[in-house]
Amino acid sequence: MVDEDYRGAKQWSRNKQSVAVVIWISFLAAAVGTMVFFAVFDPAALATAIDEGLEINREAGYAAGFFFFWVLTAACSAVTAWLVRTAPKRDSKRR
Amino acid sequence: MSGRQETNRPSSAPLYTSAAKIYPREMKGRFASLSKLATIILLGLFYVVPWLIWDDRQAFLFDLPARKFYLLGLTLWPQDFLYLALLLIIAAISLFFFTALGGRLFCGFACPQTVWTEAFIWIEQFTEGTRSQRMKLDKAPWSWNKLRRKGSKQLLWITLALWTGFTFVGYFVPIRELSSEIIALNVGGWTLFWGLFYAFATYGNAGYMREQVCKYMCPYARFQSAMFDRDTLIISYDEQRGEPRGSRKRGADPKGAGLGDCIDCTLCVQVCPTGIDIRDGLQYECIACAACIDACDSVMDKMNYPRGLVRYTTQHALEGKPSKLLRPRTVIYALLLTVLFSAMMFSMITRTPLILDVIRDRNTLFRELPQGVIENSYTLKVINQSNDPRDFEVSVSGIDGIHIDGISNPVSVDGGGVLSLPVRVRAHRDNAYGIMDINFTATSTDDDTIVVVEDSRFLAPTP
Repeated sequence: MVDEDYRGAKQWSRNKQSVAVVIWISFLAAAVGTMVFFAVFDPAALATAIDEGLEINREAGYAAGFFFFWVLTAACSAVTAWLVRTAPKRDSKRR
Repeated sequence: MSGRQETNRPSSAPLYTSAAKIYPREMKGRFASLSKLATIILLGLFYVVPWLIWDDRQAFLFDLPARKFYLLGLTLWPQDFLYLALLLIIAAISLFFFTALGGRLFCGFACPQTVWTEAFIWIEQFTEGTRSQRMKLDKAPWSWNKLRRKGSKQLLWITLALWTGFTFVGYFVPIRELSSEIIALNVGGWTLFWGLFYAFATYGNAGYMREQVCKYMCPYARFQSAMFDRDTLIISYDEQRGEPRGSRKRGADPKGAGLGDCIDCTLCVQVCPTGIDIRDGLQYECIACAACIDACDSVMDKMNYPRGLVRYTTQHALEGKPSKLLRPRTVIYALLLTVLFSAMMFSMITRTPLILDVIRDRNTLFRELPQGVIENSYTLKVINQSNDPRDFEVSVSGIDGIHIDGISNPVSVDGGGVLSLPVRVRAHRDNAYGIMDINFTATSTDDDTIVVVEDSRFLAPTP
């Protein structure tokens, strides 16, 4: 019959699924956010607006912006996933 | 969806197992060749395109450090973001359109995840051999042979991943400069970081995670079924023909034994990269790679049965009804695509390669000069989006007698340059009171179709 170790081997644990989904979806959202944000704002100009003397190159600005978005979206995704998974069950079969 | 998955899972399968390794079985056939061809073409494009040259410049360069996008002869600015947004919308609708028509053709043949996984599997098969050889190798104790095979696989994987990361970065910084920087071991920190980041993502996704990405992480995989109808092309097992399944001697008459055409060899399950049984019906894990079709066809050929027990078909066709290509869903998607695409083309062709930004001086509302003259200050940004230097005539209108003081028309702006122009605008207080709307106009001196009008406000004391 079907190779048992072949089929059963393919499930990811729920924790692994959650971590992967949180990282990946927040990455996508952060990418979109970064794109829209930096299409409107120039990181070099932003840095000067924050502090006259602050001079960063654009690559660093893009990276900082991207990671800012990613941390934000990942935190949001993670808390959402955690709340959904740990919500009290409605029926009496509570563990 | 997840509920259905739970019920479909055999009850003996553990819920919490660490992900053990997958050994996809290699399969030859029509669709395997097609997918090989798609992989070669798409990867070839990816690796070659950044090296193309157009007008002495990289043909496709999304120059992030300079904030300019070069697409062949066209130069796009951050102000042209609308095009990018439109392009993304068009891409999304195209995906819907092709999903409605062809099901998950994208997943099986064009998705980067599939394409790179395919390339990484080639390397795996090249260095470690077939499925059974790989399984044996993994179980075997460490030996020179194992080290050599595993080592060369990793070496090839890492090389391909690094080359992929380098190429990816080459779409965003000029790739020729980048390669000479790499040779000189003098790569900028962030450039290096993103190259390694993309290389690592490629290595992990295509080398290890593979179809797990489709099963657990891909949103499209979960919602694509919403775009399906009974005329969508799907991979399906012909239950009427196949059942009841069962093994039989070669050459035996299945009808006499009360059997259908499925000999239950489970080859279709063994080749499936997501580990589903296509005979259970359409499942969201199916990425339409068509490996099961190739597998089943090969068995049908051996049994001298007609091919197509597992095949590309539609639900209507399976039920013996005709499949319709034209239906409200596909027509609406096609119309939307046509409208959006023509709008984008029209707007790109008629695009004025000139932008005028007007920024009012925020520090003072207005200044009163002798003889009743009111003065407002502005900064004009004249952006010449063409690649050649141009002269522009800058003027202001909206109030009787309003004029710009302190610039000498015309102003010249380099090709692809931005000119920041502080100006004082004056009007007489007999004509100007309160908040008045005015217009700044920039006109190219050699081509008066290149003209931009920008609104602003002129402040004066209320009488």
